[in-house]
Order: sequence, then C-alpha cells, then structure tokens
Amino acid sequence: MNTYICRYCRQPSDPSSATCPLCGAPVDIRSSVSDSGWVEQPPIKDMARLQFGQSHVQIAGTTVPVAEFNLAQNDWIYFSHHVLLWTEPGTQLTNMPMRGAWNRKLAGLPLIMVEGRGPGRLALSDNHAGEVVALPLQHNQQIWVREHRFLTATGNINYSWHPTGVWYTTGSGDDQETRYPMGQYGDTFGATGGPGLLLLHSPGNTFVRDLQPNQTLLIQPSALLYRDVSVRMSLHLEYPRNMGFAFWNSRWSYRSIWLRLFGPGRVAVQSIYAPPEDTEMITSHSYATTHHW
Amino acid sequence: MIQCQWCHAQNQPGTTNCQTCGAPLDEKDKVSDSGWREAPRLRDMVEFRFSGSTCQVEGELVPVAEINLHPQDGVYFEHHVLLWKDESVPLSSLNTGGGMKRTVGGMPHIVTVANGPGRIAFSRDAPGELVVLPLHPGMELDVREHAFLVASHSVQYSFIRIKGLVNLLHGGNGMYVDRFVTAGYPGMLLLHGNGNVLERTLRPGEKILVEPGGFLYKDSTVQMQAAQMPLKTGMLRHGMYLAEMTGPGRIGIQSMYVHHHAD
Repeated sequence: MNTYICRYCRQPSDPSSATCPLCGAPVDIRSSVSDSGWVEQPPIKDMARLQFGQSHVQIAGTTVPVAEFNLAQNDWIYFSHHVLLWTEPGTQLTNMPMRGAWNRKLAGLPLIMVEGRGPGRLALSDNHAGEVVALPLQHNQQIWVREHRFLTATGNINYSWHPTGVWYTTGSGDDQETRYPMGQYGDTFGATGGPGLLLLHSPGNTFVRDLQPNQTLLIQPSALLYRDVSVRMSLHLEYPRNMGFAFWNSRWSYRSIWLRLFGPGRVAVQSIYAPPEDTEMITSHSYATTHHW
Repeated sequence: MIQCQWCHAQNQPGTTNCQTCGAPLDEKDKVSDSGWREAPRLRDMVEFRFSGSTCQVEGELVPVAEINLHPQDGVYFEHHVLLWKDESVPLSSLNTGGGMKRTVGGMPHIVTVANGPGRIAFSRDAPGELVVLPLHPGMELDVREHAFLVASHSVQYSFIRIKGLVNLLHGGNGMYVDRFVTAGYPGMLLLHGNGNVLERTLRPGEKILVEPGGFLYKDSTVQMQAAQMPLKTGMLRHGMYLAEMTGPGRIGIQSMYVHHHAD
C-alpha cells in the first residue's frame, strides 16, 4: 500500500485494487495519451466505490453517472439543490448560505447550497452526458474549477469564488456589452484539516495535461474544466488573414477567442463546450495577446 | 432454462440475450449498495420478440428500436418519435381522449398506430437508454409524460390526471402521467430514459424521495406525492419539493433530467 501514485489524481494509491480507492480511475489499464500529450481521463468504472472519511460514494451508470453517497455519522457533503436525484427520508438536508448572493445571482450561480449529513444515503447527478471526475485533495491543496462544473464536495473542503479576470466588451454606448467567455467567476476549492473529496461533472470526455513552467497552450475558454492554481490564464485573440473575397468585417467576425494557459501545473478540458457566438468587434478586453495572420 | 433477471422470462440454455426483453443473460446485474439496479444495457443489434414481431435495438448513445411487424401486429407511439418506416406500413391515428385538456397539458391527444407487415423504427432525441418492459396480463404501469417510445397494440393506453394543487404545481411531473395496462394478453412497452436508468423495488410502506424530473416510471401500486423539504432554493424561494414515493412496487428513475425548479 502507498507505493503507487495514481497518475490521474496524483495521490498515493493502492496498486492491488482494480480502481483507485480515492478517485475511481482504473488501475489496470494503460494510459491513453494523444500524440500531442493529452491524457484521456478514464471514466470511473460502473459501480466503483470511492472512500472518504468513514463514508463512501458509489458511481452508477456511464452515460450520465449517478454519485450515490452512503454518509456515516458526522460526515457531510454540500451541493447545489438542482443536482439532487434522490434521498432517503432520514438523511438530514439543510441550507448552506453563500456570501455575495446578489453577485452570484447576476452570474447565474446557485445562491444557496444544500448540506447533506449522515447517517443516510443520497444520490446526485448532473444533466449532461459526460463523466464524473473525482479529485481527492490533500490538506492545504487547492484546485480551480470552472463555474457550473462542481457536483459536490466533502464538508472539510473550503469553497470560494473569484472573478476569472477574462473578459472583453463589444459595442459602444448603450449597446456596450461585457462578455465572459469562460464565465464571470471561477470556483476555488481547498482542503483544510485533512484530505477531502471534490466531485465534478464533465460534459463529454475529459483530458488532462501537465504543463511545464512557462509552457503555454491555447484552448476554447469554455472547455476548461479545472486547473492547478499555479496555472495562469489570459485571453488570446487571433484574426485570420483577409483573402480579399470576404466582407469588410470578416477580420473580426471570423476571429478566434482563445484562453491561453501558462504552466506549470495540471489542466483538464472537457470535450463538450460552447464557443463564443458573438461576432461584433471587440472594443476593450482583459489582458490579451493578439495575433493577426 | 435461464431466467432473465430483468423481466423474469425463461430462456433456452446457451442464449446470451433474453428473447423477451433483450437483456444480456451472461452479465451480472449491476446493483448499487442502496438497492438501485441499473436497467440492462442492451447490446448493439440485440433482437427480441413480442407477439409475432421482432424488435432490434441499434446504437448505444441514442438507441434506435427497429421493429419488424408481423401482419397481425400493431404498435402505437407519439408521432414525433418515428425515425423511418417502410413505405408500405400503414399509419392511422387513435384518439386518446382528453381533447383540449391534454393539449393544454402539452400532451398529445392522438397517438399514431402502425400495423404490420413491415418495418418501422423509433428513437428519441437525447442520449440515454431504451428500457424494455414486457407487461404480463393484469399489470398497470405509470410513466412520466413524453418518456413513452412505443407500445404493442395489446397494451391499453390511458392517462391519469395528477390530483391535488400541490402535486400539480410543485410535483414537477406536469398534469398527466401515462398509464399502460394489460388486460387478457401480454404486451410490450418501450421507454426512453435520459442518461442512465435505475430501478428499485420498494417494500410496502417504504419511502424514497426522488427529484420529480428524475421520475421515469412506477408500478401503479406506488403512491406519488409532492413533499416539501425544509430547504430554500433561492433568495425568495422557500420549500424545495421532491416526489415522495411509497411502496409497494417498482420505481424507475433517469439520471439526466431538467430540474423542475431550474431557472
């Protein structure tokens, strides 16, 4: 025991087990790595159990997996009410108020979380075809997660949220609009007082990559699932070369809006995303690099 | 003989898929610690029989049910789930009753009937699973609206209006629940569940609280009531509602749903 580091959750794990008891990743498979270095996160095996505290969570299903918790006395988790699929009548559910209610409402984030306390069982699921991604966090370890991807966390994981700092504006005067291609806020989770478990729901498939110091990468902003807090990010705007046959505004209507990630650290992307749809000229933006072809 | 764990039909030794519902016979049931059983994941191109007809299931992400109808057989369905058909397969319409009330409730008051011989195929528009429910004579099954894919003509189709203002406003299941009943003959009912489908059998008096959007089907013996939880869901919202299911009987849920209080 403890001689094997799980390549997916980066925690000491049990090599004799079929699945990592902390994150559910299969132990007995070869890593699937694309030529460019993206590591495919293997889906958690159907009915695999993950241990935390005296409790465990079992993952059921593969299309839209359900996380079924068996909570021991004194263990608790928190989640947004809209992911609750079922609960036993005896499981204690209470509200967990969030700070900054007005800003959260403006950003479309849940205003109130629900705490589920043991003993008892409850189950959570999201409403996209995809994967549950389990991130066990050691004491003081932090991770940044894109908004709306959080499924649940154990009670000893702190949750805070901060502006992403990635934005641009289009139009002018009364028509001016500020857009946030990866959401206005991002979530930061950190374990305190011991290890904890964070579960995300990733639409589509999930791929991870470890960036070297100062290594950069361009991705669709809404494809980012999570990143180490050591990874920095900013906008990158790319304009195609005008070939002479397009309209006068083609240089911005066919532009690409990227998120540039700077290592060191781990980043994860989901394969379902929503690219920015607007085609108006950008009038101002957060720090960005630009390339005109 | 091998008994299918899903529909309990008997199969010849050596068969790998149930001839009555298509469930794999050579795989163990997947049951979670709390007793939810995954609906069997039908193998691509698996085939099963009902009456004199056959049904083949194609695809795994959004499965298609392709039915080869015997000349004496027929099936009915909501017209928008029809994917393709042989030109020769005749279609007719059947009034379900309810008229304007059904229309107001967003439910069709006419279902389409296809009669054999010929081939016809059905699918819905979301990733999920086909749930094959062979119905023995005397069974009554309630299904959430718009989850029904196709049923054989020996199954009687009706609907029950959800009673009680609290259930109607907060139950999250709309105004109606479809009811399928078999009288003297067995029948076949196919549902489409979004995401994964899980089933559990409740003992008499046993209760479970389910997100109403996740409810897929239940035996008619299972009672369903909206239950208010002591939880706020927003700054001005009080009282989240869940569907309280009380046994005895089976209940099926789907893991992908639109939350009934979603903005």
